[in-house]
Amino acid sequence: MVGIVDYGMGNLLSVYNAFDYLGEDVKICKVPEDFEDTDHIVIPGVGAFKDCINLISENGFIDKLHEHVINKGKPTLGICLGMQVMAKKGYEFGVHDGLGWFDSEVKKIDVINTDLKLPNIGWNEINQTYDHPLFDGISNMTDFYLVHSYFMQCNNQSDILATYQYGQNNITAAVIKNNIFATQFHPEKSQDSGLKLLSNFIKWNP
Amino acid sequence: MKKCKKCLLPETHESVTFDKEGVCSVCRQIEFKTTKIDWDKKKEDLKELVEQYRGKYDYDCIVPFSGGKDSVWTLYYLVKELKVKPLVVRFDHGFLRPNLNENTTKVLRELGCDFHTFTPNWKVVQKLMLQSFLEKGDFCWHCHTGIFSYPMHVAIRYNVPLILWGEPSAEYTSYYSYDEVEEVDEKRFNRFVNLGINAVDMAVRLGGTLDERDFKPYTYPKLKDLRKLQYKSVCLGSYIPWDVKKNTKIIMDELGWKGDVVENVPGQYNYEKIECYMQGVRDYIKYIKRGYTRPTHLASIDIRHDRLNREDGAKMVEEFEGKEPPSLEIFLELTGLTKEEFYTISESHAISPWKFKGIQAELGAKLPDFKAWSRDGKMKREDAEVQIDRWKKSK
Amino acid sequence: MSKLRLIPKLQLKPASYNSNKLVLVVTKQFDNIIEIGDPVSQSKIFQDQVSDELIFINIDSKNRQEISLLAKIISEVSEEIFMPLTVGGGVTSIEDFRLLLNNGADKISINSAAISNPDLIRIAAEKFGSQCVVVSIDYKKDENNKYFVYTNGGLNKTSYDPIEWALIAQRYGAGELLLTSISHDGMKNGLDLYITNEVSKAVNIPVITSGGCGLAKDFSDGFKIGKASAVAAGSFFAHRDQNFMQTRSQIYNSGVNIRK
Repeated sequence: MVGIVDYGMGNLLSVYNAFDYLGEDVKICKVPEDFEDTDHIVIPGVGAFKDCINLISENGFIDKLHEHVINKGKPTLGICLGMQVMAKKGYEFGVHDGLGWFDSEVKKIDVINTDLKLPNIGWNEINQTYDHPLFDGISNMTDFYLVHSYFMQCNNQSDILATYQYGQNNITAAVIKNNIFATQFHPEKSQDSGLKLLSNFIKWNP
Repeated sequence: MKKCKKCLLPETHESVTFDKEGVCSVCRQIEFKTTKIDWDKKKEDLKELVEQYRGKYDYDCIVPFSGGKDSVWTLYYLVKELKVKPLVVRFDHGFLRPNLNENTTKVLRELGCDFHTFTPNWKVVQKLMLQSFLEKGDFCWHCHTGIFSYPMHVAIRYNVPLILWGEPSAEYTSYYSYDEVEEVDEKRFNRFVNLGINAVDMAVRLGGTLDERDFKPYTYPKLKDLRKLQYKSVCLGSYIPWDVKKNTKIIMDELGWKGDVVENVPGQYNYEKIECYMQGVRDYIKYIKRGYTRPTHLASIDIRHDRLNREDGAKMVEEFEGKEPPSLEIFLELTGLTKEEFYTISESHAISPWKFKGIQAELGAKLPDFKAWSRDGKMKREDAEVQIDRWKKSK
Repeated sequence: MSKLRLIPKLQLKPASYNSNKLVLVVTKQFDNIIEIGDPVSQSKIFQDQVSDELIFINIDSKNRQEISLLAKIISEVSEEIFMPLTVGGGVTSIEDFRLLLNNGADKISINSAAISNPDLIRIAAEKFGSQCVVVSIDYKKDENNKYFVYTNGGLNKTSYDPIEWALIAQRYGAGELLLTSISHDGMKNGLDLYITNEVSKAVNIPVITSGGCGLAKDFSDGFKIGKASAVAAGSFFAHRDQNFMQTRSQIYNSGVNIRK
């Protein structure tokens, strides 16, 4: 059973539909208790860091997430903002504390003195740092869909599973640590490649 | 018009690309097929696949069937070599020729299989033919969609999950290549089978004038239902190497399958597209739109398999292509179009850079069974005009 | 660098034979409406033929009820379509935004409502993120050959020229712009490359241009000359035996950085 965290932000329906389309049992977790019978956890998100972390906290998810993700070690997937809030700190609209699961900070992508546009919206070639079962059947430099202005800057290079190039910026596209996997891009919006990634996530045994 | 340096396919062939050496993607796929695939392993895979389903359902598999060389070969192989119990399913497009019907009876009696055939409502077919000809320059929409959708409905209804088709599309086009597994599913259907139009879209284009239920045979079943069936829909040609000449010889010798003459195609190709009496018109429209047609296609296959050299192929093409077929008069009656309209509509769908240069003086030869081709159910002119006017408005 | 994008534009309208069913239509200069298909079916076809995104616009939104119809279609579409969906047509309030986003839309397009109430752009951008807000700009030349922005399906002339309004929309927080040339719409005679280029140069946000594609080359020009981030097309795919994948190959072969 895949549990998708509903803290009031993010396009849950697409994520839900994607897992459903793959034939998986999936449910939306509106309250922390909903996590009990899940074996995979997904944290989606679209919007701003501050709102995200505040809502997660207000809805009482922080402790439960800690319990299921960190203590119980359930395979967890963070998407876009869901990935960013796993950082230690975020700098969008002020300084805010994240979940702290990755030693990293969320900063604005630097496009000063370039023609580059923000938010970066569109398909980008994702460079896999090394081979991993999560990218099974997905060739290197496959396009995935991204939409963001802020990115996760990791202090621990070994956390980084994939990156992509935006101008001179080498931007973190996916991170992984133990049972926690997160992508800046949207697998639920990346057609076949995205569905394959989600399917790999379900099969993943961290 | 650019042509492949190896075979004769031009740039207007759908999905084709040319590499640095000017060789087309189809030629490269065939090269790959003949050199890089471990066919022994594939055959083992096929045996394993069939075993998964053998004896567990009322039929071991569904074999979509037309009675042409490919589906007869497929059925032959499955029954004789793999000893499956198939349900043979035919979607009757409405233009089956007498010899084809004889072949079908002979083959089915010889092999011994249950046969399920379905002929859709002619009045619906007629409207669909005209509409798809107007909009896409291809009047066979009902056939493309029916052939690929209908057997899937039968699979669901009879609860038979394994569906085995014949040749993979990689044999002739580049929507798929031989190095990937071609699943004959809805994605493939949407990629190139339905010409970008599903039955529900047709219903809208016909202004809601037909009963929704009339569109069911042309509608791909819902993924949900196919999933429940746990369907597996693949091509025999992904597991055993396809060789039309070899296959045809075997079915002729072993089953008594008979070839036939076909409009505007050299006599030695008596195994190709013999099942449809609208073949001549279909081929001619292709010529008007793309500047090449069946002789090019056949010559190219022979060239790729070293049975013909390019020069001789080109000569043959020159001699046979571009002639108006005798069956055109039947087509016009059945669709309610005038000959002038036929040319205008066909030409409007030309694929650049080809431009049709006008009708050649010589007409193709009438075939022996021409008189047996039914002209019943002619389209009334005023009905045709409703569809034609709408199309004109959209230009 | 994000790849440049090819986006089918699905224009919707209640069917002439059933007002509770939204069907796909094509237009010519915002007129001459022809009904051509079912939105869910066409979406699946475009996905299987590998488009980059989809845009849905209800062009004939006459009453509040139609936002619900639109939401319903998007909800059905999002069950099987896994790429970004932009939705618009008759959106006038934050509630409309929310309803459509909850039903599977990723971005919401506003047109007339943005002109009459630019604050909507700002509030929506703050609430949902600017990447969710697409401002749709329809334009054409008037009798004096000057470009103006028109609203209400091309019927009401505003006092803005497209570049001017584009800059204002950006200032209010729009994340993306959708430009449509009314005079080129459905004519298959090429995009309005001049305005496309002027707007793309003027703003820092991505610009989707549309109206007039008839050949693969028109798309390429939209990128190379117009400097757009994306080209949207409606009529292009409706009436020809031209497969989207083939068009994509042709555009790619002409040297444009799109997905292969």
